[in-house]
Amino acid sequence: MTTGVAPAAAASRVPARRPLLNARRLTDVLSHAYIWLCLIVFVLPFLALLGYSFTGPGGTRPAQNFAYVVTSFGDNLLWSLKISALTLIINVVVSLPAAYAIVRHSFPGKRLLFSVLTLPLYVPGAVIGISLVLTYNFTYHLTTSMWGLVLAMALGTFPLMLTPLVVALKDLPVVFEEAAECLGATKWQTYRRIVLPLIGPGLSAGLLLCFIIVFNEYLVTLFVHPPGLTTAPLRVFNQIRTAGLSPTTAALAVTMQVISFAAVLLFFRLFGTRHLKGTYLL
Amino acid sequence: MSTVRLASLTKHYGSTVAVHEFDLDVADGEFVTLLGPSGCGKTTTLRMIAGLVDPTGGRVFFDDQDVTFLPPRARNIGFVFQTPALFPHLSVADNVGFGLSVKRAKKAAIAARVDEMLALVGLAGYGARLPAQLSGGQQQRVALARVLATDPRVLLFDEPLSALDRNLRDTLKYSILDLQRRTAKTAIYVTHDQSEAFAISDRIVVMNSGRVEQIGTQMEIYLSPKTEFVAEFIGANNGLAGTVTGIEGTGEAARTIVSSGELILRTRTLAPAAIGDPVVAYLRPEDVVVLQEGEPADFENVVEGTIERVIFEGPTAQLRVDVGGRQLRADVSGGRRLIFPEGRGRIRLGFNDLTLIPAEPPDTVSSAR
Repeated sequence: MTTGVAPAAAASRVPARRPLLNARRLTDVLSHAYIWLCLIVFVLPFLALLGYSFTGPGGTRPAQNFAYVVTSFGDNLLWSLKISALTLIINVVVSLPAAYAIVRHSFPGKRLLFSVLTLPLYVPGAVIGISLVLTYNFTYHLTTSMWGLVLAMALGTFPLMLTPLVVALKDLPVVFEEAAECLGATKWQTYRRIVLPLIGPGLSAGLLLCFIIVFNEYLVTLFVHPPGLTTAPLRVFNQIRTAGLSPTTAALAVTMQVISFAAVLLFFRLFGTRHLKGTYLL
Repeated sequence: MSTVRLASLTKHYGSTVAVHEFDLDVADGEFVTLLGPSGCGKTTTLRMIAGLVDPTGGRVFFDDQDVTFLPPRARNIGFVFQTPALFPHLSVADNVGFGLSVKRAKKAAIAARVDEMLALVGLAGYGARLPAQLSGGQQQRVALARVLATDPRVLLFDEPLSALDRNLRDTLKYSILDLQRRTAKTAIYVTHDQSEAFAISDRIVVMNSGRVEQIGTQMEIYLSPKTEFVAEFIGANNGLAGTVTGIEGTGEAARTIVSSGELILRTRTLAPAAIGDPVVAYLRPEDVVVLQEGEPADFENVVEGTIERVIFEGPTAQLRVDVGGRQLRADVSGGRRLIFPEGRGRIRLGFNDLTLIPAEPPDTVSSAR
């Protein structure tokens, strides 16, 4: 028996010559090619910008270009950061209690209210801009102060903060809060020590989205920025309109990109590891 | 360490009655279990005692203090949930110390108490771990340590073992009882599992559709059920609906006669109803004795029937016997008694005392359930 079977089995174990391109290999190669194609398509414009930002009248002069960004556009970058920071603070202060109320309490018209609150997401920036300019005309000095711009940004982006918080709270079993209260914690202690850390991922997602949008917002800023206040994106557009596309403007754009990217990395570093670790989410 | 008194505690959700006028006195250090099917209101009752749900009527007292509308944090309770509910972002030690740290206890005092509690539940040295690094049973033990750390007046358990596997449940239920005894805490425990309730309780409250059916020790509830629900919910039971037809003899020799279909049953139990009233006679399957051929029948009742089914379960066998059109279950255990012919053999059964419960009129039944 064994002698009869063994040669046959051995023969079947000899691998057939592997075809260079079988179906599986082809899919493999194609999917890799696709990924690389996407990468190149997405990154190429940025590389072009980067390359251009290094150029100048006398050949390459990256140092001078970026030094110019700091000295001449520094104000604009600072304004952008300041507006972003203030908007984030307002968004968090408004959205945290709102999300908690929406998820943990039932009241009539809750779904309608949530829909209305997220409406700014679907309103075009130009519409928000025009409406706010008209509205601000009725106010004392929102048209002339930084706060008009901050409020406009908050209005346009706080749904981006609210929605991830609502999702995170919905996913958080209420039993953690009940356990904390039974152990003697006040509502505030429960909120600060249990709820807030456990919705960290939602909070960081909201912060990230809002920062990226606010830091780079051009259209709404164009409508409501007070005289004398020019944010970095606005400056880029103004430069291009008045002076054409210069390497220093490209350098400013690159700087904005780097700041946005750094923000993403920072948030993932802060919240991605510290707060995700050990939560029931991961 | 406190008594608990519930006075007409009631909870309505709209027109639905979740808990109806619940009265209960729990002595200091007593272990009372609320037992009932899901949806009977036992968890709602427990949550009202904890302050997690506001009652719509009635009062909750700890000792003589009215705590009905105090928030949970002001009641000094220890609540163990169905899931361990350990805070996932805090270490085991921080979880156990949470109750003390929110009361702003000193760090050293918290650390000492945490170590003491972890040792008490057999998890000394696990303080630095995160909850996710523990098994389900260990997590529930940390939850126990966490509630004991604040030295609560009352321990409340909401089916704390239902999420665990069977073997773990068996060991952990005795750990819970042991901890309760050692700390001498008053405990109220909610479960739908009879064996759990029987294993650990001083007294059991059987609940159904938001109402208390019976309060008593294991033996009282098992041997003298007061309602049809208790008789049928606790353990297996044969319920024979019939009417009281008379009383024979007097004094010690008095026997109540109940006719159920073709059966005439005699029992020492006093009739709970007047002659002619409907009753249900309950008979535990293990109290039914299978009589061998020619064996003298020294029983109040001897009936003859046809075996319809034999279910062999290992240590015991269930016989389903058709007796005059009614199906009786008889459990037999041990040796030769387990061997019965399959099929429709004739058999004689003997039994003595029955539990008589007045039959609920049909309209009460429908409104209560």
